[in-house]
Amino acid sequence: MPTFSFQPVDLPPGIPAFRQQIRQFLQREMPDTSPENKSNCWGVADLAFSRKLGQQGYIGMTWPKAFGGGERSAIERYILLEELLAAGAPVGAHWIADRQSGPAILKYGTAEQQQKYLPAITRGELYCCIGMSEPGAGSDLASVRTRGEQLADGRWKLNGQKLWTTFAQHCDLMIALVRTTPVDANNRHAGLSQFLIDLKHTPGITIRPIEDMVGGNHFNEVFFDDAIVEPDALFGVEGEGWQQCTSELSLERSGPERYLSSLALYLELLRAAGSDAESTVVQALGSIATQLWTLRQMSLSVAGQLVDGQDPTLEAACVKDLGNALEQGIPHLVQRIVSSELFLEDQSDLARTLALLLQTSPSFSLRGGTREILRGIIARGLGLR
Amino acid sequence: MLAETVSRLFAEVESDQLQPTIDEMGLAGLMLSEGQGGAGCGWEELFEVLEPAGQYAAAVPLGENILASQLLGKAGNFSLSPYVEGSLQEGKFSGEVRNIPWGRAVDTVVAQAATGDVFSLDTSAAHCRENHNLADEPRDTLIFDRQAIGPLESADLLQYCALMRSVQMAGALEGALQLTAAYTLERHQFGRAIGKFQAVQQQLAVFAVEVAAVSCAVRAACRAATRGDAAFQIGAAKLRANTAVEIASRTAHQVHGAIGFTREHQLRQFTQRLWSWRTEYGNDRYWSEFLGRRVIERGAEHFWSDLTARDDRVAG
Repeated sequence: MPTFSFQPVDLPPGIPAFRQQIRQFLQREMPDTSPENKSNCWGVADLAFSRKLGQQGYIGMTWPKAFGGGERSAIERYILLEELLAAGAPVGAHWIADRQSGPAILKYGTAEQQQKYLPAITRGELYCCIGMSEPGAGSDLASVRTRGEQLADGRWKLNGQKLWTTFAQHCDLMIALVRTTPVDANNRHAGLSQFLIDLKHTPGITIRPIEDMVGGNHFNEVFFDDAIVEPDALFGVEGEGWQQCTSELSLERSGPERYLSSLALYLELLRAAGSDAESTVVQALGSIATQLWTLRQMSLSVAGQLVDGQDPTLEAACVKDLGNALEQGIPHLVQRIVSSELFLEDQSDLARTLALLLQTSPSFSLRGGTREILRGIIARGLGLR
Repeated sequence: MLAETVSRLFAEVESDQLQPTIDEMGLAGLMLSEGQGGAGCGWEELFEVLEPAGQYAAAVPLGENILASQLLGKAGNFSLSPYVEGSLQEGKFSGEVRNIPWGRAVDTVVAQAATGDVFSLDTSAAHCRENHNLADEPRDTLIFDRQAIGPLESADLLQYCALMRSVQMAGALEGALQLTAAYTLERHQFGRAIGKFQAVQQQLAVFAVEVAAVSCAVRAACRAATRGDAAFQIGAAKLRANTAVEIASRTAHQVHGAIGFTREHQLRQFTQRLWSWRTEYGNDRYWSEFLGRRVIERGAEHFWSDLTARDDRVAG
């Protein structure tokens, strides 16, 4: 028996027609953008475009109609995501809300919370961010120190700091992991709770941008200084934040965004290659095509397992680890083999996309579970831990 | 079901009794139609049978038997090879058919000339130059002199063989992984099982991901081959299997230490096969150029739509 299960998925009938519909939509509505902005495009926020996707029914498309969803299948959503990413569409603004915050609210939220947030998310008008990382809590999430203290009137007072919060400046809602009971050395995962925090209207919250090394501003630090939230901001069960949080993370590891971030650069290399391309370039094009094809089969297979109600945690970790290695490998491979006359400061599409990806790709194996954490999960699957 | 039956066969039957048992069970007829007395199976079932053959390092030409039987329209212990040098004149072949798995032991071999013609050759009058690969599997050259051929329907033997070998590679990679993972829990150093060290765990995880990727790619290629033109998928599956060999063999041997380097140890049954198989039926350079030229010919505008269309065609 194989150690990991990767049965190929048979796409249901109707997928080609749906894919066509998405491509026509993109042709009509996607803003003109440079190849460099098409790379890692789920890190590019365009609020107007997110609203257009919402109007089209392309956000929360699997959710119940009562909350503005489309009740479509998870495979259809997968097809939508891979088409958006392959086209390089700027989907960063609503990505987190659609991928994990919305599904988490559907799973753990009260009826009021669901009604309050989900319809606005599906319209592409309400954006979410993840409040997990802190200065002292990266891979070791259980060490979060942001504290929540319940007041006599039932409201909660929050104090602490979140870090590396992507697009907090655009977001309306943060799902934050907060310590609500002092740490128990024998069970560090206990005593954590999640909160739905209105970033736009809660006093005591300060959002400060952190510039990344390319000069981009998606990172932020978010401070809570005696920030008071209502009792209904508590999300799910008090004290079960850890379990809720990890089930949220497993939703986000196997999607097409885990291997397509450097596709735009591959396409530029392909565009530049003619029928007289050197063997080294031809081989690189064939080799990357093989890896993209393989990862797509793996990623689709995990999507199929999720639809069937299986638990592909291990397989999802495999997809992310291998997908990140590909996304990170492409810029270095391209730099190795392109013409020695190409310089990173050139203005050509190829040079600009290469320069950007060399600098942004180190983040690919940090976000959503580091390489080391993933490999630890895989080793556990092998029975070594 | 099929996979369990053959796994038991490879686990329990003595190696010198394996081929007679396979003949007796009629496994060679797996891909013959029911009208031809076969099981009417496709490539996905071939995966179920050949993946265990790789995982148990079975020293039999089972894949060759099955594919040559399908091409010949009858079941038997036959072999095949796409490596032909010689000439076809008036229905007679003179020249060499090279690298035939178990060429010495089969009475018929299916070959493909440079012209693309596929034909069968009776081996009884051929001169055999015996050779073997790193894992001692026979890789013989048969030399023919004006041997009458049996013309067969056209097929791409290199692709057939590449997919067949890829399936075995998926199995051998899995076999090497399981052997290595088990060893890390048996072997103690510094007072604990070496598998408890993070440095070893992280290496094993990388190895496991490679194995998973190959298994997925080869399964997908088998599915595609059952349904029609699968040149891209077969090339990609073989290339993916080839590239995994390096990480897999390096890690397996590193973790096993000196014991894995001995003639007696089981590990070489996998690694020697994998090193040989990486070269057989297209090495990395061959398939990456084949695939690279295809994507260049189609252009950047078609890359993504071609990639998705391959699976969408099935959805219809």
